[in-house]
This record gives sequence, structure tokens and C-alpha cells, in this order.
Amino acid sequence: MRSTSLAFGVRQSLRGLRQNALMSLASALTVALSLLVAGLFGLIIINLGHLATLAERQVEVTVFLNDSLPDQGVRAVEAQLKAMPGVTQVDFVSKDEALNRLKAVFANDKDLLAEVEQQNPLYRSFEVHTDQPEHIQPTAEAAGKLNGVVKVNYKQDLIDRLFRVTRAIRVAGLVIMVVLALAMVMIISNTIRITVFARRHEIGIMKLVGATDGFIRWPFVCEGMVLGLAGAAFAAVALWAGYSWAWGAVQRGLPFIPLLPGQPLLTGLTVLIGGSGVVVGAVGSALSLRRFLRV
Amino acid sequence: MQKGLRGLIQLVEVWKAYPNEVIALREINLKIDRGDFVFVVGPSGAGKSTLIRLLYREDVATRGQVLVHGKNVARLRHSSIPLLRRTIGVIFQDFKLLPDRSAHDNVAFALEVTEAPRREIKRRVPAVLELVGLKDRARAFPHELSGGEQQRVAIARAIVNGPSILVADEPTGNLDPDTSWGIMNLLQTLNRNGATIIMATHAKTIVNAMKKRVVAMDHGRIIRDQAQGVYAHEVN
Ligand SMILES: Nc1ncnc2c1ncn2[C@@H]1O[C@H](COP(=O)(O)OP(=O)(O)O)[C@@H](O)[C@H]1O
Ligand SMILES: [Mg+2]
Repeated sequence: MRSTSLAFGVRQSLRGLRQNALMSLASALTVALSLLVAGLFGLIIINLGHLATLAERQVEVTVFLNDSLPDQGVRAVEAQLKAMPGVTQVDFVSKDEALNRLKAVFANDKDLLAEVEQQNPLYRSFEVHTDQPEHIQPTAEAAGKLNGVVKVNYKQDLIDRLFRVTRAIRVAGLVIMVVLALAMVMIISNTIRITVFARRHEIGIMKLVGATDGFIRWPFVCEGMVLGLAGAAFAAVALWAGYSWAWGAVQRGLPFIPLLPGQPLLTGLTVLIGGSGVVVGAVGSALSLRRFLRV
Repeated sequence: MQKGLRGLIQLVEVWKAYPNEVIALREINLKIDRGDFVFVVGPSGAGKSTLIRLLYREDVATRGQVLVHGKNVARLRHSSIPLLRRTIGVIFQDFKLLPDRSAHDNVAFALEVTEAPRREIKRRVPAVLELVGLKDRARAFPHELSGGEQQRVAIARAIVNGPSILVADEPTGNLDPDTSWGIMNLLQTLNRNGATIIMATHAKTIVNAMKKRVVAMDHGRIIRDQAQGVYAHEVN
């Protein structure tokens, strides 16, 4: 396309936005809201996925040892655990280590701590990691049958539930995003249709003097893309500010929830939102012109 | 207007029926040579406007062939229709100017939308405005111009692309007689410079005075095609 036509298109689309200012603002805000909701879902889904992965990586099976088991027996249990299929790592936790961990959790409960410090009631244990979640349950069962093992804990349920919730939210998010995309295309297409209608004489004359369809379409597509991009800018700013604030608040108040840091997450999301705005704008305006360009 | 580029139009057994089953044209056979000046006359509803719309493919014949530059316009690819329209300037009774643009910008519009280079636009728009006698009114908006001046702007817009054919649907229908004569003189000048002109009209005086070819229509048929003709046959 020539630079003159490029300038012509931009000038025409600005004219359209100005003539149709209120409707343009309304549709840009609708796009902003839709992209904001979509972006929120994106952030939630990404963070839940992150959480689930972290949880999965944490201790999967804890094997508690009888206090009467001699060191030799402890080494035997360790060797047997390491030989089990899928087991990648086996860590020993001594009675003192276990007590220290307990102290960290119950730092404020002085009575309890005083009591357990007199006579440590905690078992020695092995923390066993597997390469895949499917290996957790068989490993736990086999470990329970080993000589000197009193109890086996595993968090399969929690992890399963976390993954199930993540999957459900991901599906719901996708459905909502598709619905929002359709809504955005429709509102933009309606807004552009108003501009098209207001300029039907102009379009008629353009056709009369031999303008091509592409040339006639371009200013409107341009206008749609500007609307989409404006909405995307709103949404990106709101998401950026909101997430940065939420991240800080969680760090201070709920430090054990490991939210992903703002970067590079927000930059990626902004690019995605901007792209969606442009695409939605272009598709919306192309739709509203289809009927008008039939000879 | 460019010399040498001349149009040729031929209609062969053309019928046109509208979706509402009105038959607007019936077995039309018509040949227009390069450089012709043709009046199409007849009562309201005779089919004049329909005939003209077929030429620049605003509408398509139901049956028969419409050939422009030797090509059947119904067979043109969709993307070629704009190119056909660049060879045909069109003028209407109601001028069809854009109210929010000056005379200059209305004319420049026709070049802008056909993606002419800026240099061409700068050169040709003032030249064409001078040709139609509006050199000093270039900055004026349509509502600041008289009917005759507005029609001159419309003519300037129609010819600025250098089309070889000029079609006019009742171009003097909204103008008083003196102003009408001004427009006719302009059209005659363009015709002398090589443009083929087809003009639908009710203006009896003008047709009778100009002694051009007259195609008379009634009820969708051509009832008379006469060189150096008059508006209506004298009834003896
Ligand atoms: N778009 C249309 N749809 C249906 N009928 C039409 C349309 N345009 C014209 N007609 C009919 O076709 C006939 C010829 O109309 P037209 O070509 O406008 O005649 P003229 O220009 O000689 O007055 C008339 O009966 C008119 O009512
Ligand atoms: Mg008519």
C-alpha cells in the first residue's frame, strides 16, 4: 500500500472515531473490560499451575521409622526405598531436624515447645521423591511393609485436587475467553457498522470513482484496530497495577503462597492482550463491511 | 481530458428485470461509438437510469450482453470492476458531493481513493477545477456553492481520473435554464476533447437545440434512435 493511502486510511479512521466518539469509547471500554477479565483468568491459571508444580515437587512420601530401629536397619530401609521404581531422591530427617521444623511452625506456642523439648516424641523419617505422581501410591504401600517402618504419609490427594482445580479453572477460563472474544468482535463490529452507515454516501462515491474493496475496507479495519488496541491498553495498565499491588500484599501478608513475580509474566501478558485487541478489532470491522462491499 | 483514449459501448439484446418483477429494459440493442454524444430521452420510468447503471456495472443485465471497451461487464472479475469504473465518469442530478469537504477535496477524493501519487493530485485537481471554471472556488464547501457550481465540481470529480466515457443521469434536472446551458457547454467541450458522452435527460429545449444523437425510450424499449435528433417526433 502506498504511503498516501496509509495516511488516507489513518485520517479517515480518526475522523470516524471522532464522529462516533461516545460509541467508540463505550466499545473500547467493553474491550478493556473483556480483556481485563481474560487477563485475570490468565494470571490465575498461570499461578495455579505454578503452585501445583511446586507442590508436586515437594515431599511426596514421608516414611516414619520406629525409634527402636538400629542405624543398620535405617540404612537398610534407605537402600530398599532407593531401589523402588520411580524413586528419584531419599532424604533422611533426624529427630532433632524434625523438632527444629516443629519449632519453626509453632514458634508462638511456648508450652507445647517446652513439653516436646523435654522428651522429643518425633520419629525419624525418610522423605521420598518420585519422578511421576503415579509412582507415589505404590511407593507408599511398599514402604509401609518395610521392617522398622511405623507409618507412611503421602499428599497424593492434595496434589490431585490441586491439579483438578487447575484443570477446571483452565477449561472455564477458556470458555469465558471465547465468549468474551465473541462479545468483543460483536461490539466492535456494531460500532464500525455505525461509522459505515454514517459514511455510506462516501463509500458509494468511493466505489463510483473506482476505489478497490481493499482500499475502502482499510480505514474501517484501521478504526477497529485502534478501538481494540485502546481497550487493550486500558486492560494492560489495570492488570499491571493490580497484579503488582496484589503481589506485594501477598508477599507481606501470606508469604507462604508462592505467587509468580510480575516480570516477565506481565510483559508477556501485555503483548498477548495487545495482539488480541488488534485481531478482535480487525475481525469485527471486516465483518461489518462484508455486506456493504457486495456490488 | 486525455485525447486518444476513447470508449466504445455496445448493448446486445439486453433485458433487465428487477427482483420485484418490474421489467425496466426490454430487448435493448444499442451501439455507441468513440466520441459520440448521445441523449437518452423518455418519460419517467422509461428505463433511462437503469440503462445508465448497467454501463458502470452498478447493476447487471438479466439477459443479453453489455460490452464496454469490448468487454462483457457481467463477466468481469470482482477485482476488475473498480478498473472499469475508473474509465467511466458518472454525474447525477443530485451531484453526490461530500458535504464536509471543499470543492478541491471533493475532486481530490476521486484520485486519493484510486491511490494516485500525491504529486499527481497536486497537479491535476487545480487543472480540472480550472477547466470547469471553478479555479477561484476551490476552498468553498458544497453548501457555499450554487447548484451549477456544485454540478461543475461533480463533473470535475468525474473527469479527474481521465475517463474516456462520461455518463450523466439528468445532470441539469436541478438547475435553472441558464445554469443548465453552462453545464451543457462544459459537456460539449469535454466531448470535443474526446470524451464519449451519454446523457439521460428530460430537458427538451436542450436536446432540441444541440442536435445530437437521440435515443428515445418508453416502457423499457428503445422506440427511436436518431442522429442529430430532437426530443420528440412532431406529430403531423
Ligand atoms: N432498484 C429498483 N428496484 C425495483 N424497481 C426499480 C428499481 N429502479 C427502477 N425500478 C423500476 O424500473 C423502471 C425504470 O426505472 P428507471 O430506470 O429509473 O427509469 P427512468 O430513469 O427512465 O425514470 C421503473 O418502473 C422503476 O420503478
Ligand atoms: Mg431516472
